[in-house]
Amino acid sequence: MTQEERAIQADRMRFTKDKLSSNLVLIAIVFDALYFVSLYQTDIGSYYYNWKIGASVVYNLLFMLAAFLASEGVKSRKTGYTGLLIFLGVMQVVRIFYLPTQAAKDVVTVSGVEYPAMERGQYIYVVVCLIISAVCCIAAAVNSSINNRRLAQHMATLENKTA
Amino acid sequence: MAELSLQHLEKVYDNNVQAVYDFNLDVKDGELIVLVGPSGCGKSTTLRMVAGLEDITRGKMLLGGKDVTDAPAKDRDIAMVFQNYALYGHMTIYENMAFSLTLRKEDPNVIHKKVLAAAQVLGLTEQLNKKPNQLSGGQRQRVAMGRSIVRNPQLFLFDEPLSNLDAKLRSATRREILLLHKRLGATMLYVTHDQTEALTLADRIVCMSMGHVQQIGTPLELYDTPANLFVASFIGLPPMNFIDAKVEGSRLVTSKFALELTGEEKRLLTAYQGRQIVLGFRPENTRVGSDFEMQVLSNENLGMNTLVHGHIGADGKGEKITCKLAGWCSYRAGDVVGISITRKHFFDKETTNAIRTEGSGK
Repeated sequence: MTQEERAIQADRMRFTKDKLSSNLVLIAIVFDALYFVSLYQTDIGSYYYNWKIGASVVYNLLFMLAAFLASEGVKSRKTGYTGLLIFLGVMQVVRIFYLPTQAAKDVVTVSGVEYPAMERGQYIYVVVCLIISAVCCIAAAVNSSINNRRLAQHMATLENKTA
Repeated sequence: MAELSLQHLEKVYDNNVQAVYDFNLDVKDGELIVLVGPSGCGKSTTLRMVAGLEDITRGKMLLGGKDVTDAPAKDRDIAMVFQNYALYGHMTIYENMAFSLTLRKEDPNVIHKKVLAAAQVLGLTEQLNKKPNQLSGGQRQRVAMGRSIVRNPQLFLFDEPLSNLDAKLRSATRREILLLHKRLGATMLYVTHDQTEALTLADRIVCMSMGHVQQIGTPLELYDTPANLFVASFIGLPPMNFIDAKVEGSRLVTSKFALELTGEEKRLLTAYQGRQIVLGFRPENTRVGSDFEMQVLSNENLGMNTLVHGHIGADGKGEKITCKLAGWCSYRAGDVVGISITRKHFFDKETTNAIRTEGSGK
């Protein structure tokens, strides 16, 4: 790419939306949804009937709300949302070690028969969902941050030219 | 840009209503043609046929020498600006202007250059990040024009683009369109029912009525030498006054007064001796004088001129006419004023065509 093309690309950012970052965050929401649908449909004894699931539901709602706001924010190239996206991404990784990992280790006894609280296959599925969700959040934050920095530099160049 | 040739164009709708009859026009490269006429005269239908939005029933259309009569709208390389702007409300001005090029999958950097260039021409650079509802009507219309400009089409079509604007904005946007036309050197076809727009914008005007072309000519030709009663009454504001008259020897006799004909007028009306004709004169071609008397109905003071409305004859029983007299006049209703005509037009009462010497234009 030539210097001129790079300059035009940076100039385009003044008028176009950061759709890539925004879409990455939306994908993160979709994979979070796949995660919790898989988790909440599991019904083995009364293992999942506790306050942790309640907290998980509330967190999922907060995650989706915050992620959607961040999606709109990065789309408009607002700088404040990159930190939030990194936080959300890290939290998705932390969540792997909360409900899914515990459930994968635990055993539930129903009518005298022992069952794993989470099958191996389901565990891998939900972990993959959370990892993809986390990667999307962090990738969106990084992409948005790089673009915003390029745009800021370009704007400074424009201001210098006009001054 | 390209030349446009419309040959014997006709439009008949499925219900057998004919909207356009035998329309012939050759538009030169870079020319601005205005189609003008009252509502329902077929001007918009003609424009839509050119755009490819209506099928051409009969006739031929050549654009840049290529026959595009049956070509679909998307293949004609024509851009159209509508009365209602037709902007996408959820897109920014930049996105609206870039939309057609994005659909064509052009290189984003090239699109960017074209949009910025068009925005600069139209003075929209500061508005590119705004949504259409944040702009004034004039600015929105400029965006609609910008969307056409970025495509660099062979032909621009404007369908009453200023109708939604208030009078002040209309005048400003009209000047902008004129400047834009000069800057781009684009071939443009412009439809309006507003004769002021037609007279100020056009290189040539096509005056239409009831689906028929009445006259094609420069604004001055249409104003100065109207081809028939319709053109004479449609072009010019206030409209031309008409009085029935009879040619008697060297005199033109009306029900209220008689005028002595000049030598040239006598020669022009030789064939009409003893016959009824229509005498026409524009309000601005009158002055205080002695050709006939007018009983005043009302005054409209315009500053430099006064429009005086009244009836011919001291008894106020003649035809109603309007005179545009110089200066600030303060006539009262019932006052009798002597009027002279400085420029006359004659029309055949039967054919409604202007009476002209041979070779004096259509």
